[in-house]
Amino acid sequence: MPKVVACFKWVVDEAYIRKGAGGALDFSAVDYKISEYDRNALEEAARCRGEGGRVVALAVGGPEAAKGVKDALSRGADAAFLAADPAFADLDPTQTAAVLAEVIRTRIPYDLIVCGEGSGDRYAQQVGPRLAENLGIPCVSYVQKLTVAAEGGRIVAERRVEEGVEVVEAPFPVLVTVLPEINVPRIPGVKDTLLAARKPVAIVKKEELPPMGEAKLETLALAAARMERNCEIFGTTPEDIARFVAALQRQGAIG
Amino acid sequence: MAGIWIIAEKKELAMELLTPGGQLDAAGGGRLTVVVPESEGDPADYIAAGADEVALLGRLSEEMSFSSWLPALAEEIKAADPAAVLLAATFRGRELAARLAARLETGLASNCLTLAAGPDGTLVMERLAYGGAALQRVAVTGRPVMATIPPRTFPPAATVPGREGTVRRLPPPPADSLRVLARKEKERSAQDIAAAKTVVCVGRGLEKREDLELARQLAAVLGGEIGCTRPISEELRWLPENLCIGLSGVQVKPELYLGLGVSGQIQHLTGLRGARLICAVNRDPHAPIFPAADLGIVGDLYEVTPILIAEIKKARGG
Repeated sequence: MPKVVACFKWVVDEAYIRKGAGGALDFSAVDYKISEYDRNALEEAARCRGEGGRVVALAVGGPEAAKGVKDALSRGADAAFLAADPAFADLDPTQTAAVLAEVIRTRIPYDLIVCGEGSGDRYAQQVGPRLAENLGIPCVSYVQKLTVAAEGGRIVAERRVEEGVEVVEAPFPVLVTVLPEINVPRIPGVKDTLLAARKPVAIVKKEELPPMGEAKLETLALAAARMERNCEIFGTTPEDIARFVAALQRQGAIG
Repeated sequence: MAGIWIIAEKKELAMELLTPGGQLDAAGGGRLTVVVPESEGDPADYIAAGADEVALLGRLSEEMSFSSWLPALAEEIKAADPAAVLLAATFRGRELAARLAARLETGLASNCLTLAAGPDGTLVMERLAYGGAALQRVAVTGRPVMATIPPRTFPPAATVPGREGTVRRLPPPPADSLRVLARKEKERSAQDIAAAKTVVCVGRGLEKREDLELARQLAAVLGGEIGCTRPISEELRWLPENLCIGLSGVQVKPELYLGLGVSGQIQHLTGLRGARLICAVNRDPHAPIFPAADLGIVGDLYEVTPILIAEIKKARGG
């Protein structure tokens, strides 16, 4: 049965980001979480493992990502690798994919790699496809249904394309990126958390890896996105709603 | 600047990318190359819209996927050494862009909303991050500068008759290890939500699947389409995924968006920031959709919607 790697990112929970003065973002009270899309990746990896397979969860990040490792292990992974260093806290997609590829190539045997379609913070949607390229393996992205062929050795994946769905077959080793609709991720229970504490975790330090390349994507500024409009509030009586409809007409939104 | 490449799977997407491509080209000079499948219309149309060169992708066999163009396109771009490569941020385009960027060892700015050359000639792109809560300004440090741009971000480029350009054809690449087993077209109704003039969107405030009928009635009166928030399609599966509006779903740009029982999670709001008029019906006066809306009704959608339907009919004199 397949050896599966599930990649995940430990990200800022955007619900805790506040808007500071002058449109700046205030990260002072933030909490972290496993990127939502990567919960689907972990769940799908656990589902594909079957009997006798193995799932390794893998992340690269700052030292605080160690908390995420425990979370990932309570979501069905058998073991975890974390490339952790303060210098890994804010990598660009090129660097993230390079570190992941290096750890996988040198330390983790695999048949199938599962990534989320993008990360919950930057949502660049690049790391999965770039990782496949770095490893020189096929890539099937935006997958909404995944099957490991019964005889093994290959996958059949339904992936979203603009016109609908493309069903593709690819041999191992292969990387897939998954869409949120592929599954409903488990909510870890107490037993899962207790079991997770006993699973093996390997920390890979920056010094153990070859020197990292330069970032190719530079963030010049990060500010609060302006979404506010001046909302006019109406009540629920027929008269109120008639005024609402009149406003729609004034705006030319209804004929 | 020396050369801009545009890669798109569909004609309308290439025509849209010719708008920013033409602006960059005008700023820096050089050739503007458009890469499209040969099935996508007359190459003269791209030339009229600003292309100096059209590279047509030969027809692939049924078993081959668009991604099989990756090695050939990487080699083409290496040889041409353009300053920038723009791709449409479709599912296939986003994957191809990331893999091309890896092969070209350059940076990629994904899902860009704006793209402009700064005073020193550096391209600066704006994109959304943190579920849409943040606007991120980025620059690419490698060459070429690569960017993906979502459909309908730019209007189609204006055409100028009498322009001249060259056309060449790239022969189909050999098959790779991926094999397409089947293709399923989505339902016709679902294809229109991104282009719909009016969208009625249902959220968690809807209590039962049968109550979709209420939203459908409202949409019918307004001549619009139905959309939904992620929980409705992903968890409850009351509507198909391709009707889900949001950052990782469909981005809509209607004249009117009307949310019924939609609370307004940031990832959802990001999918409708291009709507001209945003309206919301929600019981909770503190729902985050209200500050992002133009008109709001604080009330129970089950009470409000029938009155709303009646009042719209009345206003139209029906």
